[in-house]
Amino acid sequence: MSAPYLDGGGMYLASAPLLGFAFGWLLERAGMGHPKKLARQFYLRDLTVFKVLFSALITAMLGAFWLARAGVLELGRVYVPETYLLPQLAGGAVFGVGFVLAGLCPGTACVATASGRSDGVAAVLGMLAGVLAFALVPGLHELSLVTPRGPLTLPQQLGMSTGAVVFLVSAVALAGFAAAARLERRA
Amino acid sequence: MSGLHRVLALAAGAAALGALAAGEPTGRALDVTVLAREIAAERDHVSAPELGAWIVAGEPVRVFDLRDATAHETLRVPTSERIDLAALAKLDLPRDTRIVLYSEGGAHAAQAWVLLRARGYTDVRFLREGLYEWVARVLEPRLAVDATPAESAAYLQAAPLARHFGGQPRRGVARAEVPTGYWTEPARRTTTARTDVVGSVRRRGC
Repeated sequence: MSAPYLDGGGMYLASAPLLGFAFGWLLERAGMGHPKKLARQFYLRDLTVFKVLFSALITAMLGAFWLARAGVLELGRVYVPETYLLPQLAGGAVFGVGFVLAGLCPGTACVATASGRSDGVAAVLGMLAGVLAFALVPGLHELSLVTPRGPLTLPQQLGMSTGAVVFLVSAVALAGFAAAARLERRA
Repeated sequence: MSGLHRVLALAAGAAALGALAAGEPTGRALDVTVLAREIAAERDHVSAPELGAWIVAGEPVRVFDLRDATAHETLRVPTSERIDLAALAKLDLPRDTRIVLYSEGGAHAAQAWVLLRARGYTDVRFLREGLYEWVARVLEPRLAVDATPAESAAYLQAAPLARHFGGQPRRGVARAEVPTGYWTEPARRTTTARTDVVGSVRRRGC
């Protein structure tokens, strides 16, 4: 789930840079603008990425669940991106290879750039080149729309209640945090 | 793991356990089988006389007219408010508000019913034949010369309601002049005989 506001409007548009700066600042504070720190994730020596991203995930998930329950947030208006199976598998693989090579993902590349790191600038330029290539190479857009599966959610796919899925994901995250703490102590 | 981390982990665990117990974030998730059961049991609509009785009794009900402004100004169900589907999609009322929807015919109101049920509104009905049903059954109830006892009984109930809303009940009319709809048994769809008012209600089906 992303982009909670489907409606246009100046206020919603104005909230985008604010949220973007807050996101970047928090990533920087978590030390995620440093490629070496991120790369250590893949060797299980520093699990900051896992901890930060899973903390954000369960915070958003629990927040969305209970805000909807309180009638503050209407989940029906939260955009669920559509699944295109093969293109997204291929995109995930490209993303993963790029992440390992650069030690940065798109968000942290921007953070590294803002921190004045030249490798961050290189990663951002590479990312923009990829975007440009995608737009210019004929047929790539059509290729990105094959094997459409529509918007998929875990409760739908697992046949479970939303609350049960929220509980399972939270339990996995909390167990993961405990395991990560142990691994880092050993490393 | 610091003390703060422990507290946060405990809070997340408690919130997750609560979510497991709560089941769905909206209290009631949209379950199409539930909607199908409601439709099959005919709990999705209300008859025009029932709606009239609610209005007379002053029961808390919000009535929404999905037709355009001109049609609404010309003739409408008393207490009804005009609204279009886009506004209905953003309607923000307590989810247990009793809501009745109507349009020219039934189709548009039925679509709006699904929309509101999907948004978590629990007490939503629509007029199955729209404003036509309101005119035919509430404003201008008619009793045929060869009326059955059941029809006579229905007319006796309908006539005071018609007078309350400024309508005109008529008795002793030819059978062919009695408007028909889903409420007649057996259902007859020949709606040729209407007064000027009934005739002015265009039945476009939406």
